[in-house]
Amino acid sequence: MSQRQYELVYIIAPETGEQEIADLHTQIEQIVQRFHGTLEKTENWGRRKLAYEIGHHKEGVYVVETFSGSGEMVKEIERRLRVADSIVRYLTVRVDEDLRVAQRHHDERKATQARRRTARGLPPEPQPGERRGDMDEEDDRMEGVEVGR
Amino acid sequence: MSEERSGGRGRGGKKDDKAKGGERPRGGFFRRRRVCKFCADKIDYINYKDVRLLTPFIPERGKIQPRRISGTCAKHQRALQTAISRARQLALIPYVTD
Repeated sequence: MSQRQYELVYIIAPETGEQEIADLHTQIEQIVQRFHGTLEKTENWGRRKLAYEIGHHKEGVYVVETFSGSGEMVKEIERRLRVADSIVRYLTVRVDEDLRVAQRHHDERKATQARRRTARGLPPEPQPGERRGDMDEEDDRMEGVEVGR
Repeated sequence: MSEERSGGRGRGGKKDDKAKGGERPRGGFFRRRRVCKFCADKIDYINYKDVRLLTPFIPERGKIQPRRISGTCAKHQRALQTAISRARQLALIPYVTD
């Protein structure tokens, strides 16, 4: 059985009690365990204003869960979320591939940097006092101003 | 007399225009070189939950800023597109604002 990493974000109606929110979390936890997956991380963003109204709700409680498991497991979790009344919206995204690609790019860049730096006779890692960082930041600020124009 | 006159007015107008035209034949006053923000900042993964990262690419109306304006490279514009649509589904960013 393939193990894939998923990220699930769900929005709970703001009038829902703390207890119910905790219950939803334990429900998901149980499903993950039942399908032999692993729950890696849970983040509660708390109350947040929605960018647009969803079924008369203007606010919602955001919860982010990261877990690994099979597609069947996700199917079951999504079915549960659809049935639950307090869930305003949910979104599951498969993240393992994107993160792997990002990690690879990161590593490649690190390797190139180290190679070039050693070729120039410098230590492979940039030192904290080097010039690059400050200049980049300056440039970004300009960029932001212009984009917002 | 005539020299004074041309010194007063010509400075702001003709001479400078020519110098500008020399730098960039096409002209136009907006000629900053645009770079892809994600390439420049070395952002490998455009996270859809990071609203602060996405908002510069969403003008007032709520549409996605085109590449020709933001200067984002094709690869990152594609990634940005999916990130924005995910954020929209989660009501982090509006679909439209009037």
